[in-house]
Amino acid sequence: MTDRRSLVSVVDDDESMRESLPDLLQLFGFAAESFSSAEAFLASDVVSETSCLLLDIAMPGMSGPDLQQELSRRRQKIPIVFITGLADESIRPRLLARGAVECLIKPFSEAALLDAVSAALCGHIPDR
Amino acid sequence: MLNDGCTGLRAVNGDDAATNRAVTDLINILDTVQVPMVVVRRDLMIAGFNKAAADVLRLSPSDIGQASRDISVLAGLPRLEEQCSQVIVSGVESRADFRDGDRWFVTRIAPFKEGDSQIIGAVLTFTNVTAFRASIDQVIYEHECTKAILNTVADPLVVLSADQRIQSGNRAFYTLFFELASLRTKLKAMVADGEAFQAVEVEHLFPGEGQRTLILDARPLTLPGHPERRVLVTFQDITARKQAETVNDLRAIAEHKEELRRSEAFLVEAQRLSLTGSFYWRVPTDEITWSEQLYRIFGFDQGAPVTPELIGARVHPEDVPLLHDIIERARGAGTDIECEYRLQMPDGSVKYLHMVAHGTRDEDGRLEYIGAVQDVTARRLSEQALGKAQSELAHVTRATALSALTASIAHEVNQPLSGIITNASTCLRMLATDPPNVEGARETARRTIRDGNRACDVIARVRALFTKKESAIEALDLNEVAREVMALSLSDLQGNRVVLQSELARDLPAIIGDRIQLQQVILNLLRNASDAMVDVHDRLRQLLVRTEREDGDRVRVSVRDAGVGVDPQSMDKLLDAFYTTKTDGMGIGLSISRSIIERHGGRLWAEANDGPGATFSFSVPSGPASVPDAAPR
Repeated sequence: MTDRRSLVSVVDDDESMRESLPDLLQLFGFAAESFSSAEAFLASDVVSETSCLLLDIAMPGMSGPDLQQELSRRRQKIPIVFITGLADESIRPRLLARGAVECLIKPFSEAALLDAVSAALCGHIPDR
Repeated sequence: MLNDGCTGLRAVNGDDAATNRAVTDLINILDTVQVPMVVVRRDLMIAGFNKAAADVLRLSPSDIGQASRDISVLAGLPRLEEQCSQVIVSGVESRADFRDGDRWFVTRIAPFKEGDSQIIGAVLTFTNVTAFRASIDQVIYEHECTKAILNTVADPLVVLSADQRIQSGNRAFYTLFFELASLRTKLKAMVADGEAFQAVEVEHLFPGEGQRTLILDARPLTLPGHPERRVLVTFQDITARKQAETVNDLRAIAEHKEELRRSEAFLVEAQRLSLTGSFYWRVPTDEITWSEQLYRIFGFDQGAPVTPELIGARVHPEDVPLLHDIIERARGAGTDIECEYRLQMPDGSVKYLHMVAHGTRDEDGRLEYIGAVQDVTARRLSEQALGKAQSELAHVTRATALSALTASIAHEVNQPLSGIITNASTCLRMLATDPPNVEGARETARRTIRDGNRACDVIARVRALFTKKESAIEALDLNEVAREVMALSLSDLQGNRVVLQSELARDLPAIIGDRIQLQQVILNLLRNASDAMVDVHDRLRQLLVRTEREDGDRVRVSVRDAGVGVDPQSMDKLLDAFYTTKTDGMGIGLSISRSIIERHGGRLWAEANDGPGATFSFSVPSGPASVPDAAPR
């Protein structure tokens, strides 16, 4: 990859997110790729180059947490920011406990997104 | 004495020795005859007699030459001289009965000829008929006895000759004599051919006696040594017995009537209690007979003549064409009828009637129907109430399920909202660059609008669900829950020609949960299964509800259909909120169901069957561990 910018990969079954998030991320100065499913991401050639993963939780087939587990099994330590439309606050602590950088509840602001991605790239978990 | 007895004869004709010897020989012969014989001369003097006459009639030789009238023993023959004179003159013999004490004689007076020409006197022979007379007397006596016996028999008896002339009859017969003409043929056959005569019962009006009932019987009489056939006809008067029987019959009829009356009363009561009336319809004449109850159901006066017009006046206007159609078809086909129709009563109320009728033809081929009409108003009204309750239940459960659905709704709404915000942010940033990326901004603005519309659609689809209710948590028997739902759904399923079967486990442990919500889940699964079979025409629309105990103290409920099945590719999406394969459905059902089951600590899933169709199942933990959160977040 010749692009020196950090690659942020978006995995979401919602097309609207796959269209809008990469554009915004690029405006923030990141490279961005989007995938409609966890399986598609795993099958791509960007897994090892991905600096940050914006990952939906509920998807047909492999879910977000399933992918997190699979990457962990593959020893791919990609910082993960979960994005979810489920307004279930109880899920957030569990995901963070399992090593996620952040869990953004849709709809989220661009500031929240930038903070989370920055935190992921800096390798530390931001204060909440 | 003998020789003396012949003296007179010899004196008359004593010519020569040869003659005398012949006469003597004759007298010797006559003396050996035991029949008394007396010879009288033309002058009616005793000429002679044989030994038997001397012995039996006590004649003595001195009587010879005496006038016969002077012989005391002959006084019993008062006309003796007259008869003797006639015999001597005419040469024709004569007879006379003669009694001597206990003895009876028949006296034969025959001409006595000299040589073979001149009648010179008469010969009297006395035949003793005492024993004969006695036997005749006996016969007469017995005959009189028999006659007396027969005359004391109350029943008429008559003996007929072969040509059916009356030979003799008893007094009763003559008293009750009547015309035998009607029996002539039968009697004739019997007399002529020896055919057995079957006793017949005969009614006859006797003057002064009134109507009598007789049993007429006959049997042939064969009299020994009598070639003629006769017939003894007996008449047994059974009028009294008949009357007694009639009384018994009347009693039996009365008892039968009473039984009938009880049975009718029972029927009337049964009809009243079951609100069922019956009718009889003779099709060609439109003659209709109603039971009392049917009059009550229709609200007409008892016994009013039933006409199609009368019935038509009560039938609900909307059902008139239906009933008319059914009647016309019944008139033609003669097949059994079963239908439901309504009555519009004068007070405006509506009655629901269920009619069944069976068509038969009488021996002349005329069509007639016998039928029953039941007032099923209460049932229909309760069914309607049930249907209303069902839809209210569905409404309430849908509303209570809203809390479980909140996450789904939020997810569906947040998805486009998230797109809106991200796109709007992107749009602003594109406009803020130098030079502004107008084309990119325009594109993101379009996406913003699209996502906004998408959010609106979601909101529109859940609009109906915006009511909030508390849920009630209690210990439940899932068998009972399933049974209630099956009962609620039965008519709906049957209407779709679905055959509902159930296999409910006996030892199902109780679970803790919300009855109405779980019922909503099962109801939803049943409806989906039923809907999935709408297009099934080549096999039975079988629906199986099964409950079973799973390992780990869980209870499973599965609903198996024989429908179109599910596409394996859409299997995952099936349970998503708003996903639907139905054009007219919201698809919310399975999503709600899954939410409800998950809130009960369970899971819901779908599998394709080995054969046709799919099976939707859920399993929930049994016992207190399964308590779901009562208060939705």
